[in-house]
Amino acid sequence: MVTPSTTNPYQGPLKGDNPFAQITDNVSRIMEAPKPPLAWYIALGFALMLLGIFGASLGYVVWEGIGAWGHIHPVAWGFPIVNFVFWVGIGHAGTLISAVLFLFRQNWRTAINRFAEAMTIFAVVCAAVFPGVHIGRPWLPYWMFPIPNQMGMWPQFRSPLEWDVFAVGTYATVSILFWYMGMIPDFATFRDRSVSTVRRFVYGLLAMGWRGSSRQWHRYERAYLLLAALATPLVLSVHSVVSFDFATSQLPGWHTTIFPPYFVAGAIFGGFAMVVVLAVPARQFFGLKKIITMKHLELMAKVILATGMIVGYAYAMEMFIAWYSGAMYEQFAFLNRAFGNFAWAYWTMIFCNVLSPQVFWFKKMRTNVWVIFVVGIIVNVGMWFERFVIICTSLTRDFLPANWGAFIPSPIDYATLAGSFGLFFTLFLLFCRYLPMVAMAEVKAFIPEGHIHDH
Amino acid sequence: MKLFVFPRWANKTRQIAGFALSGAPLYLVAFVWYGGSPKTTDVGYQPEQPVPYSHALHAGEMGMDCRYCHTTVDQAAHAAIPPTQTCMNCHTLVHPTSPKLTPVRESAATGVPVEWVKVHDLPDYVYFNHSAHVTRGVGCVSCHGRVDQMPEVFQHEPLSMGWCLDCHREPEKHLRPPEEVTNMKWKAPGDPIAYGTQFRKDNNINPPTDCSTCHR
Amino acid sequence: MKPKPDSRPKYWRSLSELEGDPEFHEFVEREFRSPVEQEAPTAAGRRRFMQIMGASFALTGCYWKEEKLLPHTKQPEGFVPGEPVHYATHMELAGDPVGLWVKSYDGRPIKVEGNPNDSVSLGGTGVAHQAAILGFYDPDRSSKPLQRGEATSSEAFDQALLLAFRAAAKKGGQGFAVLSRATRSPSLLRLKAELKKQAPEATWTTYEAGYCAGPDKGAELAFGHKATMRYSVEKADVIVALDSEFIESGSPGALGSVRSLASRRDPDVGEMSRIYALETRLSEIGSLADHRVAVTASAIPALVALLDARISAARGEAGAQAAPSDNALGGAEAKKVIEVAAKDLLEHAGQSLVVVGAKHAPEVHAVVHRINVLLGNVGTTLTYLEPAESINGGADDLAALVAEMEGNKVETLLILGANAAYDSAADIEFKAALSKVKQSFHIGLYVDETAELASFHAPEAHFLEAWSDSRALDGTLRIGQPLIDPILNGRTYVEHLARFLGLPETSGQAIVRKTLGLRADKDWQSAVHDGFLGQPSKSLEVKLQTIAPIALPQAVELEVIFDLCPKVHDGRFANNGWLQELPHSLSKLTWGNAALVSPVTQKKYGLKDGFRCKVTVDGRSIDLPLMIAPGQADGTVGVVLGYGREAAGVVGGSKKEETDIIGSDTYKIRPSKAPHFASGAIALIDAREDLGITQDLHAIDDIGRKGQKDREDQLIREATVAEYRKHPSVIEHKVHHPPLLSLWQPPVSYDGHKWGLAVDLNKCGGCNACVIACQSENNISVVGKKEIARGREMSWIRIERYYKGDENSPAVRQQPVMCQQCENAPCEQVCPVGATMHSKEGLNDMVYTRCIGTRYCSNNCPYKVRRFNYRNYNLEAYGITPYTGTDEPRAKLKAMAFNPEVTVRSRGVMEKCTFCVQRIQNVKIKAKNHKRAIVDGEIKVACEQACASGALVFGDLNDKQGRVGKAHSVPRAYELLQELNNRPRVNYLARISNPHPELSTQDGHAEHH
Repeated sequence: MVTPSTTNPYQGPLKGDNPFAQITDNVSRIMEAPKPPLAWYIALGFALMLLGIFGASLGYVVWEGIGAWGHIHPVAWGFPIVNFVFWVGIGHAGTLISAVLFLFRQNWRTAINRFAEAMTIFAVVCAAVFPGVHIGRPWLPYWMFPIPNQMGMWPQFRSPLEWDVFAVGTYATVSILFWYMGMIPDFATFRDRSVSTVRRFVYGLLAMGWRGSSRQWHRYERAYLLLAALATPLVLSVHSVVSFDFATSQLPGWHTTIFPPYFVAGAIFGGFAMVVVLAVPARQFFGLKKIITMKHLELMAKVILATGMIVGYAYAMEMFIAWYSGAMYEQFAFLNRAFGNFAWAYWTMIFCNVLSPQVFWFKKMRTNVWVIFVVGIIVNVGMWFERFVIICTSLTRDFLPANWGAFIPSPIDYATLAGSFGLFFTLFLLFCRYLPMVAMAEVKAFIPEGHIHDH
Repeated sequence: MKLFVFPRWANKTRQIAGFALSGAPLYLVAFVWYGGSPKTTDVGYQPEQPVPYSHALHAGEMGMDCRYCHTTVDQAAHAAIPPTQTCMNCHTLVHPTSPKLTPVRESAATGVPVEWVKVHDLPDYVYFNHSAHVTRGVGCVSCHGRVDQMPEVFQHEPLSMGWCLDCHREPEKHLRPPEEVTNMKWKAPGDPIAYGTQFRKDNNINPPTDCSTCHR
Repeated sequence: MKPKPDSRPKYWRSLSELEGDPEFHEFVEREFRSPVEQEAPTAAGRRRFMQIMGASFALTGCYWKEEKLLPHTKQPEGFVPGEPVHYATHMELAGDPVGLWVKSYDGRPIKVEGNPNDSVSLGGTGVAHQAAILGFYDPDRSSKPLQRGEATSSEAFDQALLLAFRAAAKKGGQGFAVLSRATRSPSLLRLKAELKKQAPEATWTTYEAGYCAGPDKGAELAFGHKATMRYSVEKADVIVALDSEFIESGSPGALGSVRSLASRRDPDVGEMSRIYALETRLSEIGSLADHRVAVTASAIPALVALLDARISAARGEAGAQAAPSDNALGGAEAKKVIEVAAKDLLEHAGQSLVVVGAKHAPEVHAVVHRINVLLGNVGTTLTYLEPAESINGGADDLAALVAEMEGNKVETLLILGANAAYDSAADIEFKAALSKVKQSFHIGLYVDETAELASFHAPEAHFLEAWSDSRALDGTLRIGQPLIDPILNGRTYVEHLARFLGLPETSGQAIVRKTLGLRADKDWQSAVHDGFLGQPSKSLEVKLQTIAPIALPQAVELEVIFDLCPKVHDGRFANNGWLQELPHSLSKLTWGNAALVSPVTQKKYGLKDGFRCKVTVDGRSIDLPLMIAPGQADGTVGVVLGYGREAAGVVGGSKKEETDIIGSDTYKIRPSKAPHFASGAIALIDAREDLGITQDLHAIDDIGRKGQKDREDQLIREATVAEYRKHPSVIEHKVHHPPLLSLWQPPVSYDGHKWGLAVDLNKCGGCNACVIACQSENNISVVGKKEIARGREMSWIRIERYYKGDENSPAVRQQPVMCQQCENAPCEQVCPVGATMHSKEGLNDMVYTRCIGTRYCSNNCPYKVRRFNYRNYNLEAYGITPYTGTDEPRAKLKAMAFNPEVTVRSRGVMEKCTFCVQRIQNVKIKAKNHKRAIVDGEIKVACEQACASGALVFGDLNDKQGRVGKAHSVPRAYELLQELNNRPRVNYLARISNPHPELSTQDGHAEHH
């Protein structure tokens, strides 16, 4: 067993005579408040607008055909796949925080793990939209599932895309279970504090008859541990498998053995950045400064710095291996990536992912909410560009020069990209309002008052 | 304040819901598998024909050979539907005034073809070749059933891809001497499988199962 | 989609039962002929019509659609439903007939193939021939006679024409003029003579936009009489081609010449010939040449003169041309090459050949005749034949006619196909003159620019639906038979002439048969069956006359060079979508024309690639896009004719239909006095143009250019014949790679058949015939300029063009790339639904109906030969969709061009070459039905069949003695990107050049030594 970390974000008692009640209040108030803060309404309105665009553009794509997208002859995979990989990546931080950090007894995770998990699920939802609509005949993706049929046809299990189906499927299932499991005690709290019958009924249903008996607590923690153990390998597996889509192919710039670890690190990197971007406003507007402390943000900043370095190393390694391989096409692919038509995308990526996190070497920066917030956004942009660079620019120039082309995104490309954020934020905002944003029960266990024996 | 409590019966709903949720996928699969299969949807398809032509009478009772009408079955992809002329060969003398035959006589007179309704209808991306099967020794009966007993022709086999593959993988079950292909009553001497296996070996019959065998 | 109340057959093959039905054509006509019937077709008629026509599309399973089977009422003799039959016929283009075998499927022509027994074309075809199918089913073709644009009956037309002729005949034919295109049809010539007999005063003018006086007049100057030249290029060890197009489809006998030329370019079989090409643009001979120099057109006479001086001197012959001054010779390199060439010619006297472009002056041709005679090539590499009677003519003839018309001397003008209102030279006011003519009758395939002005118009029968005859270059006859009754109610010229001349036989068949004088049915039938007849014309003894010194044209600052378009010819094929979308062999430009200039010229005039520019000749100017074309001679602008049509049709541009005009009309600046090259000016217009280019669509930066250079030597491997003879392994060693190990053993043993293809880079000149052949055979859709400009072309076989050497004197390499059918196929492993699988015979089967369109296969294909239906191109190009079909008659007619043997793809599926698997399957089944083996060459894939030079060879690799088995075993055979270990089934035969020792350090290959 790992020794519990000493980092405890909660130094000194929280204000008020009963800190436990305090926490419960802080979190539940959000749900009980007759009106959420104005900022919430503005944000939701904006998110819904984007969501509308998303729906409209996807509808257009299905109706008009994927010719509406910017794909051309050499570049058969464009924005949809870029977005897919981007969103799947975002998800990872959630699982990492909730599962891995749990197993490693990183107590500070408790404040952020809930909405990190929520983020995971919403990200996976966003990701799941794209493969389905990017294919030529969007009404047939079910052919990728092994359903017995009169044709005697099965999907082809040699194809990495087929692996994706199972990898992402499993990931989504486990994440949802894990998330829901964790919320049960808090649902019970909500239920018991609710006044309106509707809420009581709904939360009661969700709480599945939780009474908080020690037997329930005992089982709960068992199950939680098990699910954490289950989820942990998925953090590695999912994005490794996603990276196989490229690593196992023959295309210079895709065909790289470093991809699995590189993608996973990148995913955690991007994921934490997204957590930060969500946490900062959340604690601002829902008055959770007490629970999500500066300490949390600082720790996350450190993680971002660390993973950012890993990613930077991967970029360097790619270049080195390409040169070292002596393979002409491989070398050209990376030269072209850095200095070709799409160099601007490559250098954007380098700036966002490698340079910008360096500010976190300084405590001043690590502890400045705005710096953290801005860097978080920059990193997310960078991670999107990473996928764009890998997928699109590699495709524009492969083996036979006669096939070379350039990739010009169509309006639909941009619309779907923006739209997917609409979907993500809509879900997240609803979550903030109606679900327990912080794992109250777990936090309580770690505030100083929680440790009776310390006295 | 009083805690919210579900009624006791609610406890059951959990089990029921759980059971339903786990059962649904299984049902779905079964539905697609059986419900969607031509075995269910296509077999027995028997459209009404403009002329109540009875294979049972012509091929069965009178014992006409299939190839009297379907002349090109052993040389081309299509087992041609006979021209009106072929009907008139006999029916100028036999039942020359039968009301049932009016469409045929009209067609012969005006030159407008009789509009037969297609019974055995493969998808258009499937390229089936009659001659390739008939000359190898696959009997008409294997795919069309006992047409000689059908007053009006109906689809006897599913004609699904899986069904085609069954035979392409183990043709011996359906092989017979090419001169016997049109014989609906033919029985293999002795053990049919043994016979088929031998026949397959002798005539070196290896039906391909490549995609391009049927799809182009 | 709901079941339709009117059920109809879904696909071609259901037509098999109803084809040949006498009503068939009637219904087609009912739908297309007179507007009255078109407005109100009888319910029954329309329904039946759909059953016939509807059959051609909806190649997808709709189980709930009830299908009807419509048998014959009376089965034609020996007719087997669904069995394709080939009929011999021919296509005459500008007086040059090419023998064809046309595949007819249930009475419907669906594919054109070359007639391998043709004594002149030797079985080759060009793009025009391959694309004829689409032209035939073009709904824009004229379908009804018109009077002043109003529909009328053919009786009315005949009546009017008859009266007009009778009236003229009374005055001995005065005021009656005929304007026709070039032809060598004996029947038409016979009727022309007949017309002259009945109306001696009547005039007959021939105008062919591409007419060149040079060859004929040149012979007259040289020998004092006409003489037809017939090359035997296979006998030539040394060929000097001066700005010549003699192997390009369209110039007489080209298809045969290119095949015999190619037969001498295979270093593994006998000695290679050596080719010198000095030319203004990169021609096909230029891309095959061992030495190529770009020179201006005005330098050619000087070069010819120099050649003559050297040869005459060596031969001690008098009357030679004076050796011109160096500055007239178009550069030092040209001089050096021609000097060496002269030596080389003398060394191979009698085994050499000098040819000059038809566009050059008669004097130049005369000198070239002289050179060949002096070299003793007559009788070996070329023979002079008695000229066959033909009608031909150019701008001068048209000018004369126009003068007559202006002078009101022409009362009745009968126009046979000629489209002078569009393709006359800029300074000939044909339109104006036409308005002075009292009555004009136009007979043609389309209601074109001229037809719109004519008082009467009647539809012409397409050659696939008509009886025809023509005389080939060698004097033998070609006979054309109809594959189907005229579907749009057209008639041939001879049928019209015979009618108003009051001849006893007015049917095309009778006329042709009478002309050929084949009384016995046996002779007639065998002639029609073969498609040709008669003996080659006798060869002529020629005696040289003294030839006056050529007046060397003083060099002009900028030459504008007019060429016929290799795709739409002089514009007559402008409405053919296949040809419009065909990438030009050098510029790779589709859907339009451009001004081609060399990089030097571009810099000199400050022009920008891909921008528009203004080209001016004699004060007339047009603007058109500019493209940099390495290999174009400095100081020249190359433009092609045949674009900017305003009444071509929906595809080719039409003001009436309000569709885009395609390209710019270069006739508007073409002077009648110098129709082939003229002094002009060029200036930049600062406006970008989105060009539909299929290669280098986007600007290539320095990195990209370097990347290309690095890999070209590996992709297109070459060596000189000397190197190759010394170390045959030189080609193999162009690429060094680690041992090719595979994770798993090949899953298939290929002990049955093992299909493979060989592509000989030494023979491909990039004529594009294979591209169109593939499109026609495999129902590849037309995507339109917009999609091309986005980079979404669909062609399954593309010809990759690479420039080698420095951009100012480049050599060009043409490399056809189709699916390589890898044994270790990257595409197969990544498809999640198994839509592309490996067959036991090593084909990468592509199952369109299983494809869900993830496009992973395309990403993983190193050759990028897979094409994706991003849009519903069939709906957009044909107006039909494989799912629901259409009720629109025009679309139905277009859809008849589909090959019923190949599934029509819909939106969202991947497609690619499968070595014409439908052809393989059919032959395999036939062979097995008769319990026999397949013989080598029995299966010919579409591209191979069309290839005039024989660069493509298909067959069974297990047959080591077969053509392809042999080809794969020669040392210069290599696999494209073999280091990837995909084990492709296509082998490329490396390009082996045969440079002259004295020049071998100067030409493009030097860098590989």
